[in-house]
Amino acid sequence: MKPFVAVLLAATGMAFAQQAPSKLPPVKFTDTTLDNGLRVIIAEDHFAPVYGIAVSYKVGSRDERQGRTGFAHLFEHMMFKGSENVGPGEHFYLVFTKGGSMNGTTNNDRTVYFEVMPKNQLDLGLFMEADRMHSLAITKDNLENQRQAVKEERRLGVDNQPYGQTFEKMDELVYDNFAYHHSVIGSMADLDAASVADVQQFFKTYYAPNNAVLALAGDLDTKETLAKVKKYFGAIPRQEAPKPVDLSEPEKKEERRYKIDDKLARVPRIDMAYRIPAVTDADGVALSVATSILGGGQSSRLYQKLVKEKEVAVQVFCGVDGRAGPSKFQVIALVRPGKNPQDVENLITEEIAKLNAEPVTDRELQRARTGIRRGMVTSRESALNTAITLADDTALFNDPNRINTASEKRLAVTAADIQKAAQKYLRTANRVVVVSIPAGAPPAAPPPAPKLEK
Amino acid sequence: MRKRFVLLFAIAALAAAQTPPQGQPAQSLKGVVRLNKAPVSNSVLAVKLPRAVERKLANGAKLLVVESHRVPTITFRMTIPSGDLRDPEGLPGVATATAALIQLGTKTRSAKDIADAAADLGATVAINVGAENGFVAVSALTENFDAALAILTDELLNPTFPQDELDKWKTRQRAAIEQSKSQPGSLANERLMKVLYPGDARRFTRPTVESLGKITRDDLIAHYKKYYVPSGEWAGIAGDITPQQAVAKLDKALGEWKGGPMERAALPLPAPIAEKKVYLIPRPNSVQTMLFVANLAIDRTSPDYIPCMVLNQVLGAGPSSRLFRNIREEKGYTYGIGSFFSASHTLNYFGANTSVRTEVTEPALAELLKEFGDIRDRAVPAGELDDAKSAIVASFVLGLERSGSVLGSWMTQREYGFPEDYWDTYAAKVSAVTADDIQRVAKKYIPLGNVQIIAVGDASKIGELLKKFGPVEEAPPDAN
Repeated sequence: MKPFVAVLLAATGMAFAQQAPSKLPPVKFTDTTLDNGLRVIIAEDHFAPVYGIAVSYKVGSRDERQGRTGFAHLFEHMMFKGSENVGPGEHFYLVFTKGGSMNGTTNNDRTVYFEVMPKNQLDLGLFMEADRMHSLAITKDNLENQRQAVKEERRLGVDNQPYGQTFEKMDELVYDNFAYHHSVIGSMADLDAASVADVQQFFKTYYAPNNAVLALAGDLDTKETLAKVKKYFGAIPRQEAPKPVDLSEPEKKEERRYKIDDKLARVPRIDMAYRIPAVTDADGVALSVATSILGGGQSSRLYQKLVKEKEVAVQVFCGVDGRAGPSKFQVIALVRPGKNPQDVENLITEEIAKLNAEPVTDRELQRARTGIRRGMVTSRESALNTAITLADDTALFNDPNRINTASEKRLAVTAADIQKAAQKYLRTANRVVVVSIPAGAPPAAPPPAPKLEK
Repeated sequence: MRKRFVLLFAIAALAAAQTPPQGQPAQSLKGVVRLNKAPVSNSVLAVKLPRAVERKLANGAKLLVVESHRVPTITFRMTIPSGDLRDPEGLPGVATATAALIQLGTKTRSAKDIADAAADLGATVAINVGAENGFVAVSALTENFDAALAILTDELLNPTFPQDELDKWKTRQRAAIEQSKSQPGSLANERLMKVLYPGDARRFTRPTVESLGKITRDDLIAHYKKYYVPSGEWAGIAGDITPQQAVAKLDKALGEWKGGPMERAALPLPAPIAEKKVYLIPRPNSVQTMLFVANLAIDRTSPDYIPCMVLNQVLGAGPSSRLFRNIREEKGYTYGIGSFFSASHTLNYFGANTSVRTEVTEPALAELLKEFGDIRDRAVPAGELDDAKSAIVASFVLGLERSGSVLGSWMTQREYGFPEDYWDTYAAKVSAVTADDIQRVAKKYIPLGNVQIIAVGDASKIGELLKKFGPVEEAPPDAN
């Protein structure tokens, strides 16, 4: 069943017996819920004298209402502007000057805050996370100040970038439900409209212990850590649970297409996306494995066909934008200057059709699995990464043990699973195509490549 | 689980001077209000970096081993004398092309065979070049490491440099050049290198359209024969492997690879540029100006290196630094800003960069230069200095989680010929830096009257105001 292994060995003349896959011990953790509803996950890992702490709040851009896009993320910035016992900016000043590192990040589904620090600063991390969960200090000046920083973040990531609008347009066309229809960064007009009252209400609704998960991983003693968690977080009052957001989407009836005249781009690009189920759904898992076969690295089908064989594209990417709700299966190709974007699109379409028509090969599947195992192993080299994964999986899926099972589920995907999921979701009617063309560029029929030289 | 590191609660001079006791009145620091109510530990968790074991390989390379069984992976890397600085005059890109093509065909494997073999193993097999050096690297799960290493062996010993692959590579490079002209960061960086190092190969950050037209397969073969040699180079291996296993595997895989040693590529380290200058790179439709403010400074072996690290921690390293606190947190001009010393054998410059909305280009640049002036003219207050030193010393433990980063520290020590106890005494050396030291190096290396400014943005809106900061030269992207 493994003709390729034989070829490989014959070719190199160096025979190495393939050894049994190495085993990684599962992440062990405790799972406790405080009286105020705060869920606390603790995983000991005594490899290095550091610990990671993550607080994942069950709120993301999906919870925003019309006219307030970008708010969840703007709020994230406010969490660094001070609380009752921590001054504006003091949070990051203390973390970094005590040898740690920290950040926060918002996506469609959740907002997570995290630090990694030397283990002797355990009280510092817990105190500061508890203080801002308890008593965020919201002022007009601080809001104005961070509004500017966020607008600058939008310019940096979207408005001043080639293909910046492409991502936003894609979500608008893939999703009809407002929850996922708009971008995390939000519109400039909505960012301008956000008020102090909005921030206060948002804080009260979503930043409650019963709407959050605290995870710690690293060189910790579980019992001692839990006692400290109770001391710092125990008195924060519970709030009424926010209403769950409806993420359901109507079925797509026909393909949607859009062309962008991109004033900042110099090379055309094709973006294609199919709407697929949540990351936890079996079909969603199967399609995530399919992305590595279709477009992961130089051995993938799309790279070989588009970049090497036909030379119509210069880069290809394929991946799943995985969400707690409907997700996206994406293909992106940077078109070789002078080539017709339609030819590139047609070739991608052919490769998708092949995925529907025939099972992927054993070799391709085995390759994808080895890649999954390596990724899983590498992610374990960081206490912070473990803490974030535990917090997010618990917040989003109510499943802290997903850190141990998610990769197993991906490893169990079969060729039949992939084909079945592809047939169900990788259909033209379920697809969006966005073509980004450099503004002012002449329509196709350009000179042959070497003549690009001046 | 076994403890891997020697822990010492080193309270030394640094720690004692460090944190203000709780309950002190609120203090203000630009962009930050310190209430001093959060519980901080006053001790610094000092750690001794686990020693790397040194061995010699049969091909003459020197090997460092950092054994760590936390996860079942092994990472190997080794320097080779290839590098952009070896490119023949007028042919930037030969080293880059050689590294690319060596991975695109051997006597028994096509480019696709090579990509497939690495993918089957879930392994990374890579050959890359930087300015001074090249690197070969293999990273894989423990059980796949031998087979992944065999791919590297095949590439190093049996490359064929297929002409059709070279042609295709050039096609992709031409597109990459075109695409880079739409990216402010690439535009600024390319111009900066031309400004700082106008006379030699350092001025190129990538092949040019012109050189792509000239580079031939023979250039690559000549480069490969001369610079892909192991003897005298530093190799390192980290992860799930013992020193004995490492030597056995590497000798088996790379024992036949011979040649060297090759002398280091030496280039003069230019002194700071004397005259102030502004380079404007027009990028129509920009809504931000990307600013890069720089001048020549120190190389990695300079005795001023450690004071410069502390200086940079105060000025522009991360969110606790002055540039971030002032220009982002207080003024709201930017999403991110930072400064750094680029210090190696052949690179020796200081720079700060940020992207700001077009409308605040002038005040943002003025404020940035004000911070440069301030750190030159005024002694850093004691508390802020202690915090900066603490940030460097206390963060040392974070690097212990990954064996690859421990190995990296020892590779640096060997590469620059620093003493054996370099990392053991690093904390003490940082702690010894005084406010006077910082002011001295700031006056020497933080540019002000001779600052070199690169601005990428909407020329129609920023062209005039830039004249206030020095003589302006327009440098269109296509001239890069």
